[in-house]
Amino acid sequence: MSAGTARVIASKDGAAVAQTALEVRDVSLVFNTAEGKRPILDRISFDVFDGEILCLVGPSGCGKTTILRLLAGLLQPSGGEVLFEKSRVTGPSRERAIVFQDYTNALLPWRTVAGNVALSLEARHIPKDQHPGITAELLTKMGLQHAAQQYPNQLSGGMQQRVQIARCLAQQPKILLMDEPFGALDAMTRQALQDELLQLAAEQRMTVVFITHDLEEAIYLGDRVFVLASNPGRVVEKIDVDLPRPRSQLETREDRRFLAHRHHLFGLLQGH
Amino acid sequence: MRRLLRASVFPVLVILLWEITSRTGLLQFEYLSRPSDILLAGYSALRDGSILLATWQTFEAALFGLLLAVLVGILTGTMLGLSATTEKVVGPTIEALRPIPAVAFIPLSLLLFGFGLPMEGMVVAYACVWPILIATIGAVRGIEPRLLEVARALELPFAARLWKIILPAALSRINVGIRVAVGFALVVAVTVEIIVNPRGLGYSLILAQQSLRVDLMYAQLLWLCIVGYAINAALRTVKMAQPAIHVGGRL
Repeated sequence: MSAGTARVIASKDGAAVAQTALEVRDVSLVFNTAEGKRPILDRISFDVFDGEILCLVGPSGCGKTTILRLLAGLLQPSGGEVLFEKSRVTGPSRERAIVFQDYTNALLPWRTVAGNVALSLEARHIPKDQHPGITAELLTKMGLQHAAQQYPNQLSGGMQQRVQIARCLAQQPKILLMDEPFGALDAMTRQALQDELLQLAAEQRMTVVFITHDLEEAIYLGDRVFVLASNPGRVVEKIDVDLPRPRSQLETREDRRFLAHRHHLFGLLQGH
Repeated sequence: MRRLLRASVFPVLVILLWEITSRTGLLQFEYLSRPSDILLAGYSALRDGSILLATWQTFEAALFGLLLAVLVGILTGTMLGLSATTEKVVGPTIEALRPIPAVAFIPLSLLLFGFGLPMEGMVVAYACVWPILIATIGAVRGIEPRLLEVARALELPFAARLWKIILPAALSRINVGIRVAVGFALVVAVTVEIIVNPRGLGYSLILAQQSLRVDLMYAQLLWLCIVGYAINAALRTVKMAQPAIHVGGRL
């Protein structure tokens, strides 16, 4: 099944036809704090379909990062379960790559750009003599071919985030989990990276779960957008984004449907 | 060059004054040799190789103890830094052992290993392990948690996590502990030799003193001063070279 058809099916007919990559079943999470139990997430359920870009948008403190960590397996739910390809997620897996927001902390400062990407290859036990070829190809794809021998702190924020994405791609994941990946970048860089991500996802038929607090970013990128509310975190709205692909920063954002979605969801976000 | 010139004004003056006063008989003190005699004694000790051999013996023991301390300190420190539970269980014992002066272990080490390199090395190791251990615990605990999550997300096995993430991330802070330990190593090695171990620079010193070769004793003191200065200078270059190795900075 190609990415294109998966997207069409997912947006027209939901769970009935498309393959599910991840299933979230009645997931709750309670943190034990000094003041007692604090519910973070309350019985959340949703599916992530194969090949779709699912955007989760919500105010800060609504638990969207927590949801991503649960999907990744970095956290275990207090109740309910997360299924990846029908089996229960009990810990992290290379098949689910995570792109962290704080790229500066996530990159190994003592390794070059190429060395950072090669970390994933080492984890996959790829023979060393194949590293340069694979690394060069990924860096070229991310527009980093000239930075291969530089260290992360010599690069701009946008370039550093590209390195992290390249490292995630090098682990050949089935799904890309992105935690506000462009949140710390300036507007121009952010738009460039949004388009690069869309192109990448289309080429590789990648399933993407994308966390953001930027409503327009969510609509621009997503096949579907979920709106979350806080205290405790829960999904209050799910919409299908019926905007044609490939999307364009100018036309898509001026499209009537884009504005209608924005209008609808903006109200929801304000209300909570 | 200018700085060197200015720095040498004072010692040169003192030495000149010392030489003149002792030659003219103004300064009369049995256990104060003339600078010229000290230099001659040092020269002959260098020529017959005795002082170089002693230096090597001291170095050998100091290095052996230091390496042992580095190994044990980094290994234990990493374990304690990674696991809060282990730290709670073992930490108090460490805090209890740490204040014991290393030289207090000379009698025990002598019983266990007899005279020679191992007993001296063990005492040096005991003195050197603490700064390395403490630095390692702090370094490992201070590792950016995100890096550990990256390692988990990549499903790196423990050995790879240690080798590729934890140790490189902690290295620059561990180095601080090692540099402190290097200073201890020489001091403790010489002390052990003076007190009991019949080898190395410390033993040569006490031997010169006991055979009333005061000039030789001063020559050896001077030599120790030169050696210590050289080690410090070498350490400073290592320290300066470091930012170049870790261009990543932010460690």
